[in-house]
Amino acid sequence: MASRPTVSIATAEGKPSGASHPLPAVFSAPIRPDIVQQVHVGMAKNKRQPYAVSEKAGEQTSAESWGTGRAVARIPRVSGGGTHRAGQAAFGNQCRSGRMFAPTKVWRKWHQKVNVGQRRFATASALAASASPALLFARGHRVANVAEVPLVIESKTFENAALTKTKAAIALLQAVGAGPELVKVQKSRKLRAGKGKLRNRRFRQRRGPLVVYNPETDGKDLVKAFRNIPGVETSPVFSLNLLQLAPGGHLGRFVVWTSSAFQALDQVYGTTTTASALKRDYLLPSNLVANADLSRLINSSEIQSVLKAPKGEARTKRVNVQKKNPLRNKQVMLRLNPYAAAYSKQKLGQQSVEGGKPTAPAEAFLSTLHEN
Amino acid sequence: MATNISNDLVWQITRNQNSYLVKRNSGGGTQFSRDPLNVLNKHSYKYAGYANNKAIGVQGTENGVAVTTKKPTNPQQPAKNIVTVTYGPSTATRKIYKGVADKTAKHGYRADIREEAVARVSAIRRSQLPKKDTPAQKPRGAKARKAEESE
Repeated sequence: MASRPTVSIATAEGKPSGASHPLPAVFSAPIRPDIVQQVHVGMAKNKRQPYAVSEKAGEQTSAESWGTGRAVARIPRVSGGGTHRAGQAAFGNQCRSGRMFAPTKVWRKWHQKVNVGQRRFATASALAASASPALLFARGHRVANVAEVPLVIESKTFENAALTKTKAAIALLQAVGAGPELVKVQKSRKLRAGKGKLRNRRFRQRRGPLVVYNPETDGKDLVKAFRNIPGVETSPVFSLNLLQLAPGGHLGRFVVWTSSAFQALDQVYGTTTTASALKRDYLLPSNLVANADLSRLINSSEIQSVLKAPKGEARTKRVNVQKKNPLRNKQVMLRLNPYAAAYSKQKLGQQSVEGGKPTAPAEAFLSTLHEN
Repeated sequence: MATNISNDLVWQITRNQNSYLVKRNSGGGTQFSRDPLNVLNKHSYKYAGYANNKAIGVQGTENGVAVTTKKPTNPQQPAKNIVTVTYGPSTATRKIYKGVADKTAKHGYRADIREEAVARVSAIRRSQLPKKDTPAQKPRGAKARKAEESE
């Protein structure tokens, strides 16, 4: 890499402001979907609420087993009389109104510890993936009108509570080319299938852009401007969350950066050689291969020069194929019988027998033969 | 730009799951792609338009054909990245073939998908032919005799 690539900074109108910023080192972190998925699974579990059935459920009768000898099963049975309940089986998981099998407990293991190194690796990975338009498209983001990925908007737009109204925030997103993305989210809103409807998860919808800001310079007023736009989320650059950067464990979230947040990335994550200013002893992971472009590697002169020449001919003879009838298939016949070529060329098969028809015997011969 | 993201890597990350992929058990579990830059609608690296820096998309418009290609020079700029040529209904189909074949195969673009791209144009043009009305059925049997009598 001759020079560090730069990213141009857009104005609020979506035009290039003329300013640019070198690409922070996080964006060249290795992209590891396996790590991202594993960390996502762990982190997604850490927001769960414990649930369980009541301790007493199905255990609130004074049933006793009748023992053997009464020609009924030995399951505990409800005592007393005067009601249909008396004499019915109780307690067991197979019983009507019995307790469930292995009643759920609130002390189930709800949370998972995710090692901080892995968490940071996954976050860096997800950030790097957010700079690839191909991965954004593959995740389903409508970024065809976006001028540049990563999308950076100058912080002037947000500073000193310049952006507090949702209307202005929508106008801003539309100006930078995220309009189709907002439409996508709005149209995707569907009633959830199943019981989740009753549990405060009534609708499901796609995720839109994630707006990352720097709370120190941009302030927090933009959060209020963005928070009522469907699908749009905001996050301070100092506490980026994998659940937002790779929802569902799928890489390539569409991220809208404010310029000061973008500049802060090198401070937050450092580089592969200089430690992060905010995370203790943290260096960015480096790539195992410098060039991940397989076709370029394979076609490079370095590789091609040491390869052996391919064995065999350009066309290899196929073996173990269907048997062909040499009487019908001329090529097979020629392989079996090299003479067949000359035979057919000279039309020997069509020639009459040597000598032609026998000549009639002489008249004298016949007369002598038939003489009596 | 981010030099560590190659086309091969993008494909390996997204081949199991992406927004264009259509997985259904019907049809023997064949996998299709909804990518507009995929000339066969087939889920494979060769035809994946989003994963390749060079890709061609052929889509039918109203009575015409729109041909989209990607510029390999600026993959980081999605808005500038796409070039679309539209052919109207009056353009000869063979002219479109030529245009598409030249776009895919010339200048070292994507000679490997030329045939498929041209075939797609052909299929689109065929689908745009005006539909012929089915001819009125001739009366047969008793109806025919009746019609003859009334004449």
